[in-house]
Amino acid sequence: MRVVVCGVGALGSTTVALCRSLGVELRLVDFDRVESKNLAAQWFVKPSVGKNKAEAARLQLANFWGTRAEAAPVRLVANNAAQLLDGCDLAVDCFDNADSRNVLSEAARARQLPLVHAALAADGTFGLVRWDERFVADREDVAGQATCEGGEHLPMIGLISAALARAIQDFVKDGARHDYMVSLSGVARTG
Amino acid sequence: MAILNITYQGQSADYELEIDYQASDADVRRIAVEVVRSGGVRGLHIAGLRTDAFDGFVVDRLRGARGEQRIYLRPKVPFGAGEGAARPGAGGAGAR
Repeated sequence: MRVVVCGVGALGSTTVALCRSLGVELRLVDFDRVESKNLAAQWFVKPSVGKNKAEAARLQLANFWGTRAEAAPVRLVANNAAQLLDGCDLAVDCFDNADSRNVLSEAARARQLPLVHAALAADGTFGLVRWDERFVADREDVAGQATCEGGEHLPMIGLISAALARAIQDFVKDGARHDYMVSLSGVARTG
Repeated sequence: MAILNITYQGQSADYELEIDYQASDADVRRIAVEVVRSGGVRGLHIAGLRTDAFDGFVVDRLRGARGEQRIYLRPKVPFGAGEGAARPGAGGAGAR
């Protein structure tokens, strides 16, 4: 089974680390580069600063655990989405904005590719893991809204990523599609 | 009858509600303010909750695991965004 993870930032990079023992082939998609400020909330180490995030995550998986993955250091857009999703059995959305999520959803639906989304509130108090058939992308309240770049939301990022990794694990095991809602009071399965 | 789940300031709780499942989002937000103020939602009692506390929150209507009607009132989850690619009109599919 091949799983494509779209967006290898806070949620994506942490989820990838938690999926290292799943025995699936991972494809990592991200156009962005690791900056030193990302180290506070994303699963990257100092030597990865300056590298493309998909490539950095691929290298860390290989160096830390011998886990093989494929890196696609590009921006996912409408005209390359089919190529990036080609050969995959599951897509995972860890993008940080509604436009990207919608591009991915449209491409996955067109191919009838299962897609699970993960998303975090800007204030770091709440998050969702939800399958595409029940998901509508939220837009930020204001352009440029603060993000999780500081380390203060890292525990919540870890919780959401763990819930997402569990959802992926369940799907890989028997095709189950479970949703989760993550708040400061815990993780609840909602579907 | 529906179950209203309210998430506010990181806390989440259920409330059994005598409400039409298709009640408007505005009604759901208004009722949520009232029940949180009244202490009717276990673990979420805020007597001085502002009337506009849930403005901008999202209302999801989903079926529960046993087919029950559930209404979720929750914060938006855009995962922050901002910085170039995420801005409306920037035309990019960015990732963080």
